[in-house]
Amino acid sequence: MAPYVLVGTAGAFLYYTATQIDFQRRTGVLGPDYWPRLILGLLLVVCLYEIVRIALAKNPLNETTPPESAASDEVAMQAPQDNQVWRLLAGMAATLAYVALVATTGFFLTTAVYIAAFLIIGGYKKRKVIAAMSLGGALLLMFIFMKLVYVSLPIGSGPFAQFTILLMKLMGIR
Amino acid sequence: MDNTLTLLLQGFAQVLQPVNLMFLTIGIVLGLLVAVLPGLTLVMGVVLALPFTYSMDVTPAIILLTAMYVSGTYAGAWTSILFRVPGEPIDVPLLWDGYPMARKGEAAQALGWTLISAFFGGMVAATTMVLLAQPVAKIALSFSSPEYFAIIFFGLASVVSLGSGNLANALISLFAGILLATVGVDDTYGAHRFTFGVPILADGIDYLVVMVGAYGLGEVFMRMEQGFKSPQLDKVSDIRTRLPSLSEALAIKGTFIRGGLVGIFIGIVPGAGATVASFLSYGIEGQYGKRRHQMGTGIPEGIVAPQTAATASVGGALIPLVTMGIPGSGATAIILGAFLLHGLQPGPQVFQTSSHIIYALFASVFVGIIVMCLIGYFATKFMVKVLDLPEVIVSAYVVMCCLLGAFAARNNLTDVWLMVIFGIVGYLFERFRFPITPMVLGVILGPLAETNFMTTMISFSNDWTVLFTRPVASAIMCVAIITLIWPLFRYLRQQQRSAK
Repeated sequence: MAPYVLVGTAGAFLYYTATQIDFQRRTGVLGPDYWPRLILGLLLVVCLYEIVRIALAKNPLNETTPPESAASDEVAMQAPQDNQVWRLLAGMAATLAYVALVATTGFFLTTAVYIAAFLIIGGYKKRKVIAAMSLGGALLLMFIFMKLVYVSLPIGSGPFAQFTILLMKLMGIR
Repeated sequence: MDNTLTLLLQGFAQVLQPVNLMFLTIGIVLGLLVAVLPGLTLVMGVVLALPFTYSMDVTPAIILLTAMYVSGTYAGAWTSILFRVPGEPIDVPLLWDGYPMARKGEAAQALGWTLISAFFGGMVAATTMVLLAQPVAKIALSFSSPEYFAIIFFGLASVVSLGSGNLANALISLFAGILLATVGVDDTYGAHRFTFGVPILADGIDYLVVMVGAYGLGEVFMRMEQGFKSPQLDKVSDIRTRLPSLSEALAIKGTFIRGGLVGIFIGIVPGAGATVASFLSYGIEGQYGKRRHQMGTGIPEGIVAPQTAATASVGGALIPLVTMGIPGSGATAIILGAFLLHGLQPGPQVFQTSSHIIYALFASVFVGIIVMCLIGYFATKFMVKVLDLPEVIVSAYVVMCCLLGAFAARNNLTDVWLMVIFGIVGYLFERFRFPITPMVLGVILGPLAETNFMTTMISFSNDWTVLFTRPVASAIMCVAIITLIWPLFRYLRQQQRSAK
């Protein structure tokens, strides 16, 4: 039930936000709030239906066995035994850190470290392969995107920028 | 007709230029590799290839992505048949007869059936696409906003009803996608909607960011949680393809025809795609085929039906894209993105303004199928070697492509933040069994739905009954409502039964 309560609450908040949209109303013309309110209304109806259905199914007075889908909702919310949540959380944290740091430390360094971290978090153990994949991969991606696809990747700031510019010169990237 | 043929021949001339042919071959090979690897789906592959097309001309960019789309429906069959590892959901029905055939020592024959099914389905659908595109575009020129809204509503209804699993979750996913599309400054009033004072949100949320995050990063997070467990592969000593004889193929011509028709029809329906086509075609063969009672025991019909339909769906899906600018699937949405990035808006007018690009796209489907089959015949053995790559390494580069793809679209780190957020949302959706496709199609079709709905309301004095009084709009709306009500009815009945 938790996902529906969460989505329903968010939906109700957004519905309220939609009623506060600031615009000059024109007579006889639907405003910019109409469409989002319509969709949010439908969203709330579906959430409410699911919440009521699951609540009734759980009530012992109403039935002894929960409906299949309600049971499966509960199963979905329990982490399977063999899952490695720490790996997932570490992977998410590394990805968020990558995005936070790339503007400062530059594309090459951040990418090399990120790929290495990703492989280690993912359980890969061959150190030489990790080094080759992270350094080689970062260089290759930098070359493809900066030299061939003309994307201006972040070069970083301060000494990191100088390092990236040096690399770019070595690779013939202007 | 003569004009169509001339334009198609000009399209072939463009595709056969060395540079375009090179990109087509690269697209085919990438599509085959993506389809073979279990962690990568066809849509994800096309999404990841998009940033590499930013600096290309529009024609090679479209050719590359279309080639990936075509071949992505085929190669997963190899691993399904040989190793019982479906490259992606499209290939699951191929397991049911393909793998038993391989276990009986008929792997080469099974691969042969797959190859000619993909060839037949692809060619029939491509021919249908060429024949139907101009007439459909002419009809579409007479459409007004109520008809367009009805078509989009039908697409949104079918993505919910044709998807598997919980209907309520599919609806929530769809509504979430449509809502995401409303973020930003409204076109008519210039009002800020759900921007919460964040300047970048005023430009709206690009559907590419949602797609890359939800399909790409979300899937990697899911596999990361499972510890990147690569599938255990069976030992296959000799990988060859043996084509069936003409008489063997003619003996099951009904299966080919049914599969082709199902694929084209499902492809045309916005919201459905190769996976639905593959499952539906297998189901129809199981109900109406001559040897329906032997389905699942390792007979060619069980391979031909899903594979023909899966490849045929590509040609079908391209029809609404080019004629009305409505992408019917994730992959066609990316191809639409490539069109838009190059300043080209698909729709009925495109046949007047840029017919050379459209016919190059059509020709690339024909040439792509031939190249795909040649590679499939000669290189299966080498292509499946990619399964030896550790999944964690492939995933690391998938994430990098996601990050770069999100950044390169607007050279903006905020898009990368948004992409990572949608990656986490995609993971949560998978985790709690909310389907991702309705959300993605909601983001893509939401703005079109809103624009056409609001235009209809403005043009017809807020009279929504116009959707049911104009003949074409009314017919499509009725089909859409039936499409939505039937699974709803089934869902409620199922709920009632399980409550008893």
